[in-house]
Amino acid sequence: MSTGLQTVINYSNTMLVDRRKVVGIQYTRNEIPRVTLTPTLNPWKFTFELPNSFRYSDARALMEQIDTLDQFTPQIVTFGDNPNLSWMFAYQGVMSPQMINNITVRSFAGNQLILQNLPAINAQAPLFLQNDLIQIAGHPYPFTSTTDVLRGTDTSVTITTNRPNIISSTVVGSNIVVGNQCQFNLFCPNMPKYKLVVGGQLVSNGQLINNALLNWSSGFLMYEFCGDA
Amino acid sequence: MDNIPAVANNPTNITTAEFVKLTIYNDATNPSDTTVYTFSSAYKYEEIDGQVYSPMGGLMAIGIQQRDLRATSSQTSISLSGISGDNIYLVLGTKVQGSIVQIIRGFYDENYNLTSYANRFTGIITAYNITEDRKDQTDNFTVTITANSFKTVLENRVTGRKTNRHSWQVVNPTDSAMNNVGSISGQWFDFGLPPGSTNAGAGIANPSGQATQGSLVPASRVQN
Repeated sequence: MSTGLQTVINYSNTMLVDRRKVVGIQYTRNEIPRVTLTPTLNPWKFTFELPNSFRYSDARALMEQIDTLDQFTPQIVTFGDNPNLSWMFAYQGVMSPQMINNITVRSFAGNQLILQNLPAINAQAPLFLQNDLIQIAGHPYPFTSTTDVLRGTDTSVTITTNRPNIISSTVVGSNIVVGNQCQFNLFCPNMPKYKLVVGGQLVSNGQLINNALLNWSSGFLMYEFCGDA
Repeated sequence: MDNIPAVANNPTNITTAEFVKLTIYNDATNPSDTTVYTFSSAYKYEEIDGQVYSPMGGLMAIGIQQRDLRATSSQTSISLSGISGDNIYLVLGTKVQGSIVQIIRGFYDENYNLTSYANRFTGIITAYNITEDRKDQTDNFTVTITANSFKTVLENRVTGRKTNRHSWQVVNPTDSAMNNVGSISGQWFDFGLPPGSTNAGAGIANPSGQATQGSLVPASRVQN
């Protein structure tokens, strides 16, 4: 079993995804909206809710991991390692893993990601569909494709990503990782507290063994840790 | 006026970031001995007029900047993360007061490329402030630097001068305009009498009200 935040994700009941940008919106007197956008790093924000059914005796390690991580320590998590979660963020295009491994980055300026060394497949074949995750290999930040991208006939394709290139080091020539193989570097700034309530007793050899159930003070707000990368 | 396509033709959606350039004078006697700090609210390093602005992530807020057609006295503030040690050093370890601050607003296209920019504020740092805000286990520090426009700084400078030799020569040691002012110190003079006219019979009056022969002061003033 993975540790800490990955455990929370693996056992969560709900997942709220927040990718909203920093904007200011004003409505004029005649109700025309005026919008200003700040080009931030636009980090991923998830809120996971755990069920209140964890037995204390089974969750001792999880409690310690959560207390050790506290509100500030980032941890790398993924949706691909757990077979029960791997359907989430699954790659939707037609490329095989070998084809994906051959692809390299030609350039990544603003939110325009240009890929090269593409497979020789039908021009109408979709390489990426909307919401497909793309990560530059060796770098921490997953991006999504905002449009469907077909193979076409050129030597390269351009993908419009959900956020601009926030990687400060060079990415030209790097490979890519897609779908649920992408990794998120998250920390939990509101790390919930847990309360032990009556319940969860076990019976062993006819003897009642005292136990408790864990109640969580809130959901786990996990925030992508963005620094220089 | 700068040409800013991003805000031309009344667009409903603009993408902007703030860029701050701080020029600190390390030695008051050597204007070329400076250290330049740049930071921005942008998502990456950007170059404007040959200066690279860092997206250091420490910039938290920029105060209101007054915009007038003519030079006016205005003030703004810049808030930085006090958790970053660099920012604490910036105000405590350097001669930040008196530094020149320039605030630029940059405009981006829909693909997050910086396309144009405009100067928003130029002034001088006059104060800084470090605040701590602790609530339960959350402890936050904020560094705020306050900048005044050049006009405000000049106003303060002029109003601080006195019409005497010393005060004048603080600014320019060779300025002799006030060298003779000291000789009329303590003299009493009534303005408004036509030049060349005298007031026979009247005396010179001093502030104590005693009359002296040959004064330009009207008799009515010295008789009470």
